[in-house]
Amino acid sequence: MSSATSSLREPLVTGNPSLAQISDDICAPMERKPSLLWWAAFLVALSALVIGFSAIGWELYEGTGTWGLNKTIGWGFDITNFVFWVGIGHAGTLISAILFLFRQKWRTSINRSAEAMTLFAVMCAALFPLIHMGRPWFGAIWVAPYPNLRGPLWTNFRSPLVWDVFAISTYFTISAVFWYIGLIPDLATVRDRARTRIRKLIYGILALGWSGSNKHWVHYETVYMLLAGLSTPLVLSVHTIVSMDFATSVIPGWHTTIFPPYFVAGAIFSGFAMVLTLLIITRVVLRVEHLITIHHLENMCKVIVATGMMVGLAYATEFLIAWYSGSNYEGYTFFSNRATGPMSWSYWIMVSCNVISPQVFWFKKMRTTPWIIFVMSLVVNVGMWFERFVIIVTSLHRDYLPSSWAMYDPTWVEYLTLLGTFGLFFTLFLLFTRVLPVIAIGEVKAVSRFAKPHAHGAHGSAIGAGPGLDPHAALSSSPVQALHSSSPVEAGSHV
Amino acid sequence: MSSHAPGHANKPRDIKRFLVGIFTEEEQILSVTKAATDAGLPVHDTFTPYAVHGLDAAQRLPRSKLTFVCFAGAALGFMTALSLQAYTQAIESPILSGWPLNVGGKPFLPLTAFIPVTFELTVLFSGLISAAGLLAFCGLFPGRKPRLHIDGVTNDRFAIAFDPSAKLYDEVRARDLLHSHGAAEVYFVGENA
Repeated sequence: MSSATSSLREPLVTGNPSLAQISDDICAPMERKPSLLWWAAFLVALSALVIGFSAIGWELYEGTGTWGLNKTIGWGFDITNFVFWVGIGHAGTLISAILFLFRQKWRTSINRSAEAMTLFAVMCAALFPLIHMGRPWFGAIWVAPYPNLRGPLWTNFRSPLVWDVFAISTYFTISAVFWYIGLIPDLATVRDRARTRIRKLIYGILALGWSGSNKHWVHYETVYMLLAGLSTPLVLSVHTIVSMDFATSVIPGWHTTIFPPYFVAGAIFSGFAMVLTLLIITRVVLRVEHLITIHHLENMCKVIVATGMMVGLAYATEFLIAWYSGSNYEGYTFFSNRATGPMSWSYWIMVSCNVISPQVFWFKKMRTTPWIIFVMSLVVNVGMWFERFVIIVTSLHRDYLPSSWAMYDPTWVEYLTLLGTFGLFFTLFLLFTRVLPVIAIGEVKAVSRFAKPHAHGAHGSAIGAGPGLDPHAALSSSPVQALHSSSPVEAGSHV
Repeated sequence: MSSHAPGHANKPRDIKRFLVGIFTEEEQILSVTKAATDAGLPVHDTFTPYAVHGLDAAQRLPRSKLTFVCFAGAALGFMTALSLQAYTQAIESPILSGWPLNVGGKPFLPLTAFIPVTFELTVLFSGLISAAGLLAFCGLFPGRKPRLHIDGVTNDRFAIAFDPSAKLYDEVRARDLLHSHGAAEVYFVGENA
């Protein structure tokens, strides 16, 4: 039985809202004036954005010398932030595509905001490869393969850095398309309930003339499934390719075959943490606790504890292989440097945040208490930022020659740039909560207890459950019971 | 039971009009659609706030052909990516020559190294072309008005539309069917140009 409303499972949407109520509840935050809390959050985020982008402006004007990088440590905060933000983006596509293919219906309440988060996170990430080139106006063009006057000298497709350009830009484009396709029916809902002319006009343009026609739904569902199928390997490929930026090099600490699955697991881990951070606030501020329920949060906590242990296993495997391979360089990098060297503090922050602390989610009480989940999600975010910092900086700062050993002191420009990306991320997310439905209205309707997906396909004879059916009877029991309690013959009865 | 939606009553004659029955429950739209198709009444279309499972079967809609569009897009992306990489990395031609570059003695045509970009472009092309295909198949574009705008179907109503100009259309039977399945409203809706 593939019913989403099995009597053994908790309902995905609590309180049995009617279809109209679901539209009302999800559209309400877009239709009322923003609260003071929203304004406060928006101003803080916008200030961070302005400060951060001023720092970037200074870096572009003065050069990358404003960063704390040196000859030994050629990548610092820039690529750490890049990998961190790309990883954050992974949860959105995982929720929207992979959980869709696995028929995990609880995704419907959270996929829209998680996908939005993906887009914003990838924007933050894409900033860093651009600005770390110092002259981004050239870099942005030169990575693209186009006929040119340099010989023509083409981009080197044998380099993982070029693969990364294709991976990130494809990921952003496909995520945006997937998100927008998902939005079309909801934009039509917003269009049809718009009161003012300007709203009707804008949402009318955005909804592309969607009419709810079933002939369109058939194509729509097919494309949605296709995009989910395409995005699933895509999301795995993106962080795999990001990890190859490191794994194909010869630096001890980077030259590791476990990197692709390790990075993908870490990306999902950090992405879910960020989804939780955002949704725990969103569901309260937008008053949608009955749509994004504790059950949703609990499920995400389970994903966190699972992926947290995967990264834990990867950390352990790196040490095992460093010992087992017998390579002096590997052994030095992991045992003498990473775990006990001058930057070991960052390593132990990483381990305690990512491996030890998520273990609290073994307890149901912890998985179902929003403030604990919120604190834990922040802890995981910190831990995953440090994971990238550890991989990048501790592997670089002890070079082969002791004379080139160096320490890394990030400058205020780097700190403010990191702050600026959080500003960009939260500014965009807050704007998103104002202008677009943060929950997929149509999809939630389809899984709400009024709608009984699959019951019809599985029981052809039950289709006739018509007006004679007492809706309350249907709500209080499983669909199978409800359908059996009403005779198909009754369906044709006159009202 | 029947009523006329305001604004649709006095349309000029050249605008196509459809007989529309409005329902409030998913089960009703499924049963009425199935009953209409079984009885041989040609259903123009149904309108729902979300994709109702089983409705396409009840309406006897064919499977979407967009899977083929997606595959064509994937094939195009795959070949574009492989030929782009092979051309730029390895081929010297008289016109717009590539410049094969020796990077640490790596082979010029390493197919394994071309896998990531080939994969990404395959996904990119097939995704974009499928999405464009969806819009083309459904005739959706920015600024378009819904061809048949029925109140409430993007919110909490389910509608079935009959085309009076269809061959086997019979208004009396259609109205009877709608009422017998508990239609909340039955009225005519004019098509948007």
